[in-house]
Amino acid sequence: MQQPAQQPKPAAAKPKPERPTPPPEFQEKDIATMGAAGLAAILKDPAASEFRKAKACMRAGELGAKEAVPALAALLDDEHLSVYARYGLEPIADASASEALRASLTKLKGDRLIGAVNSIGKRRDAQATAALVKMMNGSDAALAQAAIAALGSIGNAASAKELQGALRRTTGMTRMIVADSCLVCAERMLEAGQRDQALALYAVLTAPDIPQAARLAAMSGIIREERSPSRPR
Amino acid sequence: MIVPSVVLGQRAGAVAPSDRILFGGIGLGSRGTHVLSKILPLKDAKFIAICDVRDERRETIKSMADKNYGDRDCRMYSDQYELLGRSDIDAVLIATGDRWHTPLSIIAAQHGKDVYCEKPCSMSIEESWALADAFRRYNRLYQAGCQRRSGANFILCKDLLNSGALGKLKALYANVGPSVNWPPLPSRDWLAEEPLPPKQVLDWDRWLGPAPWRPYHSSYVRGGWRNIYDFHGGGILEWGSHTVDLCHWAAGLDETQPVEYEPVGTNVGPYHVNCRYENGVKLVMRDNGWDGALDTGSCSFKIEGEDGWVETGDKTKIEASDNIKPLLRPTEEARMALENHVKEFVRCIRSRQEPSASAAAAANSHVTCHAAFIAYQLGKTLNWDTAKHEFTNSDVANNMRSRALREPWRI
Repeated sequence: MQQPAQQPKPAAAKPKPERPTPPPEFQEKDIATMGAAGLAAILKDPAASEFRKAKACMRAGELGAKEAVPALAALLDDEHLSVYARYGLEPIADASASEALRASLTKLKGDRLIGAVNSIGKRRDAQATAALVKMMNGSDAALAQAAIAALGSIGNAASAKELQGALRRTTGMTRMIVADSCLVCAERMLEAGQRDQALALYAVLTAPDIPQAARLAAMSGIIREERSPSRPR
Repeated sequence: MIVPSVVLGQRAGAVAPSDRILFGGIGLGSRGTHVLSKILPLKDAKFIAICDVRDERRETIKSMADKNYGDRDCRMYSDQYELLGRSDIDAVLIATGDRWHTPLSIIAAQHGKDVYCEKPCSMSIEESWALADAFRRYNRLYQAGCQRRSGANFILCKDLLNSGALGKLKALYANVGPSVNWPPLPSRDWLAEEPLPPKQVLDWDRWLGPAPWRPYHSSYVRGGWRNIYDFHGGGILEWGSHTVDLCHWAAGLDETQPVEYEPVGTNVGPYHVNCRYENGVKLVMRDNGWDGALDTGSCSFKIEGEDGWVETGDKTKIEASDNIKPLLRPTEEARMALENHVKEFVRCIRSRQEPSASAAAAANSHVTCHAAFIAYQLGKTLNWDTAKHEFTNSDVANNMRSRALREPWRI
C-alpha cells in the first residue's frame, strides 16, 4: 500500500480510556495472512483453540476457500463456533458449501439448525426448498419462521406457492413473517421478470386479514410496480 | 361529556394526546439519551417505552421520560418484540451498538414503525442494501442520525456548491476517524475471558445479539466494543458515516457510490482512501486529525470546485477560499443540528415525506464507507460496479460484502 504523499497535521488525540491488551492466545497473528491449506489444517486440528478456529473460519470465508468446506461443516454444531462456520461457508461460491449446509439440516437442532437455515436463505439455495417446506410445517415455531424467511429469500414459483399456503393457516408472529417473506418473494420474482406472479402475490397480501404493515407494503408494491418505467405498456 | 380543552388540542400551543407521535426507544446509552433529550421537549411527540438488555439503563430512561412528562407512562421492556408489538407506538429511536442497528431497524419496519437510528447504520454492504430495501418495501420512514444534514453551517456549504459559486465540482473531502482514536483496521483479537455477570444485570447473549460469539469481557460493554472488528467498522465507518454522508448529500450523490477505492497508509498514523465517482469527481476520505487541518472541528468535510472551496465541521465555523469568503454568513443555528434533525423526522412522520437522511441515502453512503474499508483491509485498489453492486477486480473483496449473523438472527 502507498504511504500518504502529503502528511496532514499530526492528529490531536481525544482522551480515551485504556484498552485492555488481548492475551497472546487471543491474537490473530499469522492467521490474518494464511492460505487455504493452513486454514483447513487449523480447522481440522482437534488441538487448535476455539479462538484460532474462529479466526480460521472467518478467513476461509473471505478467501472463498472451498478446501475448507468439510472442516467448516463439521463446526456447524458447535455452540460457539457455529456462527463462524457459517461466516466461512456463506460466501464460498462452490456448490460444496450449499451441499454442506443442506446436509446439516438433518443433523442440527435448535439455534444451530436455525443458523444453517438462515445461511441457506442467504445463499438462495432452491435445492433446499423441500426440506424448508417440511420445517415450515413443523411444530417448532422459531425454526418454522426461519424456514419461511429462507423460502421468501429463495423467491421462486415453488416457494411462492408454499408461502401462500402458509399464509392461510398461520397466526400471530409466524403469520407476520410469512407475509414479510411473501413481500420479499414478490420482489425476487420482479427481479426475475416474473411480473404477473409477483403482482398476484402482492394481491393476495392486500386481503383485510393480513397484518397491517404487510398489507400496506403490498399495496405500495403494486403502486410502485404500476408506476415503474419498466412496466409493460 | 366535558373534557379539558387540552385533550382536544384547543389550548394555545397544545396538541391533543391523540395527535401526538408516540415514540419508543431501544438501547439508549449516552448518545441515545442525548437524542432523547431533543425528543422530550417536543409538544407533538411523546416517548412512552424503552427496551434495553441492561436493567439500569431501562430505569434511567424511564426516569428521564417520566420526570419530563410528570407521569409514570414510560413502560420498560427487555424484549424488543414486545415494544415493537405495541400498535400505539408510531416510531422508534434506535441507539444500540452498531451490530444491532440494521437488524432492529428492519424488524421495526416489519412492525410498521418509522425509525430514527444512530449511525453507523450498518455493519456491511449487504446490511446497507437490506436496510434500504426494507424501508422501501414497507414504505416506512427512516432518519439516519446524520444530524449534520440539518446543521446550518453544513447547509450553507451545500448551498454554495449548488448556487454555482464554487464552480464545477472537482473533489469532496471527508474527514474519517483519526487513527489515534479510530484506527482504520479494527482489532480482530479477543480479550481475556472474565466471569459473566448475573443475567438480570447483563444478558451477554442478548448483548452480543447478531455479532459472533466471543468470551465476555466487561470492557466491551463499557464502550470498548468500538475498534473491535466484530462490532465496529473502524475509523472509516465511524466518521465516514457522518462525513461521506455529508459529501453525498451536498453533491447530490445520494443515489450512487464511487467506482474506485485506493487505500493509502497503514494502521498507524494518517491514512487516506482516494475514491472516484463515475463522473470523474474525486472523494478523498482522509485522517486529518480530530479537528481537521483548518481547525473546523470534528467530522469536517470540504467541497472543492473549479472556482473555490469551502470547509466546515462541528466547530461550526466555515473556512473558504478568498473569493468565497464574502458569501459566508453567520450560521447561529449551527449548533441546533440535532434538534432540527429530530424535528424534521417528526414533521415527516406527519407529512409522510422522506426525511433528508433516508435509508436509501444512508445505504449509499455506508456502502461507500464499507467498500473503502474493504479496500483498506486488502491493501489494494478496488473497482466497484454500481449497477451490479460488486467489485470487479477482487473475489475476496466480494466475499467481504457480508457478515454472517449469529443464530437465530437474520436480516
